[in-house]
Amino acid sequence: MNQAEVSKLVSQLRIPAPSRLRKFRNPRGPEGRLDSLRKTVTALVKHERIELNFPRAHETRLYAERLISDAIRYGDCHKTTMEMADYWLMEKQLVHKLFKVLVPRYENYNISYTRLLKAPRPYPGHEIDKGVLELRGNPYPSLLPDTSSNKNLIHNVLLEEAKKAYRTRKYAEIAARIDAAESAVGLSKPEGVEDVADKWEPAQKNDELLNGGDENKNT
Amino acid sequence: MFSIISKCRPLTQFSDVSKTLIALSSQSTAVLKEKSLREKDVLKKQIPECRHVYPEFLPDPKVEFRNVIREKLERSDMVARRTQIDIGEFYVGSVLAVTSSDRHAPGKTHRFVGICIQREGCGLRASFILRNVVDHQGVEILYHMYDPTIHKVEVLRLEKRLDDKLLYLRDALPEYSTFDLNMDVEILPEGAPIPVNPIKVKLKLRPWLERWERQNLMGVQDLELPERFYIRAKERETPWEKYDLMKEYMRTIPEEEQLEIFSGVQNELHKLESQRKKMKRKRIFIKPSKLA
Repeated sequence: MNQAEVSKLVSQLRIPAPSRLRKFRNPRGPEGRLDSLRKTVTALVKHERIELNFPRAHETRLYAERLISDAIRYGDCHKTTMEMADYWLMEKQLVHKLFKVLVPRYENYNISYTRLLKAPRPYPGHEIDKGVLELRGNPYPSLLPDTSSNKNLIHNVLLEEAKKAYRTRKYAEIAARIDAAESAVGLSKPEGVEDVADKWEPAQKNDELLNGGDENKNT
Repeated sequence: MFSIISKCRPLTQFSDVSKTLIALSSQSTAVLKEKSLREKDVLKKQIPECRHVYPEFLPDPKVEFRNVIREKLERSDMVARRTQIDIGEFYVGSVLAVTSSDRHAPGKTHRFVGICIQREGCGLRASFILRNVVDHQGVEILYHMYDPTIHKVEVLRLEKRLDDKLLYLRDALPEYSTFDLNMDVEILPEGAPIPVNPIKVKLKLRPWLERWERQNLMGVQDLELPERFYIRAKERETPWEKYDLMKEYMRTIPEEEQLEIFSGVQNELHKLESQRKKMKRKRIFIKPSKLA
């Protein structure tokens, strides 16, 4: 039974916290473990997207999230936070990047600062899962496919059908209106004189109307 | 056109009233919002104090031991117990007097005075150890804070020490953990910060209960050990551990959760505190007696 430590306040992680940490056997023990992790954190902050073994990526992600959240919470005038940044970022220009680029970028985020994706395993090679770890809001093109423009996706199919249904309904309405107008005019005029011309003119109007309707719907 | 205007007229007629109503309602909502915001701010400001004063209200940070419902029930039980007996603010290093029922004692109650050397546990299992030297014999009693056999907890001297645990007092000279059993309450001025006692304790000669030279203690005088002990301590120390951000995270409760926990019990605790302050003021005022 322990009491929670209260000397330092921390922000909640935006990713699920594990119940225990990975050991990552290292000839230099726990110190070596932290050392190799900080190399990875440094690489992540430097390149913003790295590919590596999945377990290491997952562990690195936790440390990177903690480092960024502390930097946001305490800023660059807090001694302990600065020492942390100094330890975790082995290239010292990255300390500037952390406080001047990443903190303003993530200040108003409600989600995690990093994204972890599973990567395909190289076929002839070790049977170990690979992952891609990246900082959110990085300048690279997205790794996930753009699904908003795929015609075969169900929501796009449904939208297309809805458009069609709207169009047929409009056609029917216009046709009904024309019929009504014709019948009103036909009572005063002799039959079968200007049938063809009457039918042509409204057809053009219909097109215009339809286009207009489409535009309205699109906007 | 006319028809539209005529339709609009009733609206314009009502508009003044409705406008004022809307303004009032918006004002009231704004005031309410401001109030709630202010309350939240006050809460947020009080929480850093709360976590130091009531550390046992925070749950065990170990994920395996967490259970949100049990924690909530425990907290309500703790508040209920605190309405029955007055458990004041105290820290490791404060001198307390605890009166508890003891069936073997002459008056069925037992009062023990001592220095708090450790606070441990969370929830209803929170406990503290009091230490004193009685008749040249070191005595320690572990009390559970929410034990129903406890009648009274008095804080005689409210102060902190340089370390989080004072277990080294077991190996220190007896005068450092000797306190008068009939000690009076020392009253701090209201609003003053908790004083930190910078006393440095002198330890007895080895053998000890623990290897104190390896624990980086602040409240201990020079240990006067041979050089090999310090060399070994240097070999054994783990300076990288303070950089392990995740370990640090897993030892604490994040602020968002603390806010949630303390906002649930804040009102009751605040009431109890104000009651205690009133009682204190009453106790301070001594009625002048007529001298013959």
